[in-house]
Amino acid sequence: MDGRKKINVVLSFACALLLLCCWCIYTDAFQFLLGFQKDVLTVGVFSDSYWEVQNGYSYQILEDAIGLFEEQHPGVQVEYASGILKEDYSSWLAEQLLADTLPDVFFVLPEDFNNFAELGTLMDLEPLIRKDAEFHRERFFASAYEYGQYNGMQRSLPYECAPKLMFINKTILDKEGIAIPEEDWTWSEFYHICEKVTKDTDGNGTIDQFGVVGYTWEEAFESNGVQLFNQQGTECCLADEKVEPALAFIEKLETLNGGYTAAYNDFDLGKVVFQPMSFSEYRAYKPYPLNIKKYTSFEWGCIPMPAGPDGGNNSTLDTLLLSMNEKTLHSEYAWDFMKLLTCDPQIQAEIFDYSEGVSVLKEVTESDETLQRLIESSGDSNILNLEILSNAVEHAVTVPRFRNYDRALEEVSKAVGDIIDSDSNIHMAQIIWNRRINQSLEN
Amino acid sequence: MEESRNSDYLFILMKNLNLITILYISYIMAYSLYGVIQEHSALDFLEKIDTMPPVGWKIPLLAIGLYCSCLLLFQIQNTYALGFVCKVCLELGIGFCICFVTGFSYTGVILLILADVMRYFPRSKWRFPFAVIISMCYLLVDYNLVSVYRNITPLEIYLDYFQKDVRFLLLGIKNALNSLNMLLFLVYMIMLMRIQLSEKERILHLNETLNHTNEELRQANMRLEEYAKESEKAAEARERNRLAREIHDTLGHALTGIITGIEACTVLMDVAPEATKAQLNAIAEMARQGVTDVRSSVNALRPDALEKLDLEKALTQMIDEMSRSTNVEIAYQCTARLNGFDEDEENVIYRIVQECITNSIRHGKAKRIQIGIDKEYNMLKLRITDNGIGCGTIKKGFGLHHMEERLNLLHGSLKYGGADGFTVEAQIPIRWGTEEKKDD
Repeated sequence: MDGRKKINVVLSFACALLLLCCWCIYTDAFQFLLGFQKDVLTVGVFSDSYWEVQNGYSYQILEDAIGLFEEQHPGVQVEYASGILKEDYSSWLAEQLLADTLPDVFFVLPEDFNNFAELGTLMDLEPLIRKDAEFHRERFFASAYEYGQYNGMQRSLPYECAPKLMFINKTILDKEGIAIPEEDWTWSEFYHICEKVTKDTDGNGTIDQFGVVGYTWEEAFESNGVQLFNQQGTECCLADEKVEPALAFIEKLETLNGGYTAAYNDFDLGKVVFQPMSFSEYRAYKPYPLNIKKYTSFEWGCIPMPAGPDGGNNSTLDTLLLSMNEKTLHSEYAWDFMKLLTCDPQIQAEIFDYSEGVSVLKEVTESDETLQRLIESSGDSNILNLEILSNAVEHAVTVPRFRNYDRALEEVSKAVGDIIDSDSNIHMAQIIWNRRINQSLEN
Repeated sequence: MEESRNSDYLFILMKNLNLITILYISYIMAYSLYGVIQEHSALDFLEKIDTMPPVGWKIPLLAIGLYCSCLLLFQIQNTYALGFVCKVCLELGIGFCICFVTGFSYTGVILLILADVMRYFPRSKWRFPFAVIISMCYLLVDYNLVSVYRNITPLEIYLDYFQKDVRFLLLGIKNALNSLNMLLFLVYMIMLMRIQLSEKERILHLNETLNHTNEELRQANMRLEEYAKESEKAAEARERNRLAREIHDTLGHALTGIITGIEACTVLMDVAPEATKAQLNAIAEMARQGVTDVRSSVNALRPDALEKLDLEKALTQMIDEMSRSTNVEIAYQCTARLNGFDEDEENVIYRIVQECITNSIRHGKAKRIQIGIDKEYNMLKLRITDNGIGCGTIKKGFGLHHMEERLNLLHGSLKYGGADGFTVEAQIPIRWGTEEKKDD
């Protein structure tokens, strides 16, 4: 071997070594090689309740789950950073992501889910699900389970959820001699009741009793079966034939009040019959002592949303998700821990004790124990029908998941406001706005 | 030579510039990533990007690591075609990775690779395709093109972290570095082209010289051919002369001896028939010898006696035969050693002695001949004297003329005089003189 050849071999070897080092750095393989990984599972969680209620039990369920997990996996430690507020949580998570210190398992707020999933930071759970014989997706409410999907891949598991329900002021209905609507009530019944109760009760010339507050185009679209976007988020369906009746209905409802718009506060004061509200809100304000401050002057209950002519008694579901870090070194442990939090009946049942949401497991939400717990915590046995709750969750509308969903929704909101306010032909306006939104979606 | 050194310096300059640019860009990226985290604007940053960048510290490390491995590859000088292709492909792959790490905001590394390929590929038919492929790569790694197929986080998003004026300054510096790299590349290519052109000129010049020399050689060849023809003619003439000489030497000698012998016989026949008989026998032998000589001349043109015997014996035999056949008293005295001469020398010595005896008998009517051979320094001296009639004016006949010719060939000399009888003195330089001295 002559000198030149020898030098070439040495150079090639050094080059290969350097490239290998680069690869190790890029893929984090050096953590394995240098023995950085320890049997510590990190969890990302926020300190207060997802449902914006300070109940003092913020880490209770997590702590219980950790206790169980560490019992099942001796030698594995679970750690979490405490004290991160929900409002700071998205920002904190983003910082962890950029600093490559993202926890192995972390809760994902629905508004962050699309962004994180698009960036590929959430582990695709399908392979783990397929491998795990103990895992049965049927145990979840289908809508809640689908909430964790992005582009058809399961990126998260649901942890807790809350459906949107229609809350009724029973006192007004009793006073007006109107029966409480059935669970499968429709827009026309809804409108008739509103029409009947909207009046000036004290005779001062202004309307002071209203039919509904907070019922927007979103609720109308959901209950009329409108699919606003395609799954990829590349196309808006504002010109859909189901949209026009919904818009007309909203317009009709608004004209009832004669120019005066009821405030949310009016419901609290007992002046409004209907208000769409999340189930968590109901649970948050029902128990003592908070209920003293609100809703004291009337009896109230909840039923599903009214069905539109082309839809059903559907509404959306607010779901808190649990995801796994794409780069986790402990995917097995992380998966076990995720399963414990989302599929363990004991842990899931605690949601009814320490949180304001609903368990994502059918067996837990529909059980007698749960009913008992709810009755205990609310002290009222007649207002809640578990079947209503379960149905509302099961039949909740699933929204398409794409990255700029919130922005697109804002655009639609603007469009709807514009269409209702203008005097022009609704159908024409729909087509014009649809094209405009499609253009912005393409960008 | 100096230009090629300059181009080497330029290449080193380009390598350093690329290192600085890559360091600069990766440092900006890392700095803004950490800045975004520090200032709690990570969420806004994430909303702007489509793909996750590596962690801050990894970017400069990866960029420099990859760049260094590329530099190592530059040092490998491969002469095999396959090895070279592999090397270039690997370089391009690494170049692409560097572009990827730096968000395709700097693609000058590809130009560096092109410069390297041109450097090790100065004269080859493959140079052009290689240059085209690499240039295509350079065009294809443009941010806008790549972003159609892949999500990339461009440098601009990182720069958004900085304030407006700082952002413009940073971007300006980056663009300046990029332009400088392009400029260096252009100058480098021009330099390479110039080197190649001057090389071509040199080759052209060499070619001209070669053509000139070729022409001279052709003319020399022509002259040589002419000379060869002349030389052939001269050789022919020489050969003819030699043949004439041979005939004169052999036949002339024999016939002279025979005529003289027969004349003596006619005188003796009546007086002493017995002696006449012996004389006739000697004459017959001489005639036979003559025939043999003629045959030998025809064959090898060499005296037969010399073919069979060494010079000394051949001389003694020839003198003895002559003396017996012609009844002339021949005294022979030799003090030098006669073996060791070359064939041509032997021939000349033999023929001179033979010719002189023949001349003395035929022209000088001599009754006594003295032959002396001795050595003086490096000269062999032959001295042949007779007691014949001699002659006042010497008319050079065939014999003397040939003798001179023969001696001239050996760089020898001939002297003769006819005042008292006839004397011939020949001097031949001895080739083996030094050896003989040693022997002595």
